[in-house]
Amino acid sequence: MSAQGEQLTDFERRSRLVLEESVLRIDGRVRSRLNQARHAAVEAASARHRPMFWRFFTLVPTAGAAAAALLLATVLWHRVPDGESHTVVAELTDAHPGIDLDMLSDGEGLDLVQDGDGSGSFYEWAADQSEAGSNETDT
Amino acid sequence: MPVESHGDVELSESSTNARSRALNQFLAGVELKAFKIAQAALRHEDDALDAVQDAMLQLARAYSDKPAEEWKPLFYRILENRIRDMQRRRTVRGRVIAWLPFRGDDEDDEPDPIAQAPSTDPSPVKKLELEEAMGALEKALEELPRRQQQVFLLRTLEGLDVAETAVAMGCSEGSVKTHYFRALQALREQLGESYV
Repeated sequence: MSAQGEQLTDFERRSRLVLEESVLRIDGRVRSRLNQARHAAVEAASARHRPMFWRFFTLVPTAGAAAAALLLATVLWHRVPDGESHTVVAELTDAHPGIDLDMLSDGEGLDLVQDGDGSGSFYEWAADQSEAGSNETDT
Repeated sequence: MPVESHGDVELSESSTNARSRALNQFLAGVELKAFKIAQAALRHEDDALDAVQDAMLQLARAYSDKPAEEWKPLFYRILENRIRDMQRRRTVRGRVIAWLPFRGDDEDDEPDPIAQAPSTDPSPVKKLELEEAMGALEKALEELPRRQQQVFLLRTLEGLDVAETAVAMGCSEGSVKTHYFRALQALREQLGESYV
């Protein structure tokens, strides 16, 4: 049985009236904060009661994004594989043993090939030198 | 079996929504009184708000599965624990501050002049009487020992019965009756016959 259903004395009745009046006079700031707290509590309870399938559905967008990122990474990995580039390098170096890919790949290498003063490139000079050297050994 | 699982989905969703609505309704019904009880114990508005907020969250997280009839005593039990924790912390803080060599004036404790200013609204006699009674009762409640204050507010303001009050206070029903009787006696003595 609630106390409200019990026999109350005049003193208790008066006290209840006074206390209820003081509750009614609680200001807007306090009411607003209590309202926010209540909504937060209800939200916490809802999250707790959400069934497993619902939790699974809420994870779908995250899992989908992760899967898409993984797929993209896999595709990019296979488009420019390390093995393939190694094969190209190996083919080039096998066909032209004298070629220096490091020199070709940097900026200075190109400067040497396209000599700005018009007197011929470094590589032409180097080729002449090596031919001259081999002729000397032949004789 | 998609049809059956779809049915289960709707059922559990509607049951969750119904529980949320019930919890919202319950909290809306107790929040103002709970605040008043916490404020009487802590004598600080923001602390009282924090205590009620914590009690709401804890009830929602830990006990929202319980039958709705059990929520009220559980909620007040949690609130009481929070109030006790805050009072204990305040006592410790007070002791530490008392040992400090210098403490500046806390500006927050200064009364707000706007709040202190008398209202210019003309109040009817009845309203004035009620305000006086309210002030007198709040002052008398402050003088009561904590347990008596608590039992008086839970029984008179919140309307809990003896058994529910015992659960909320974590004591026996006999203890509730004793505290309540003493609280009524003390308040009657302090407020006098003119209060009624």
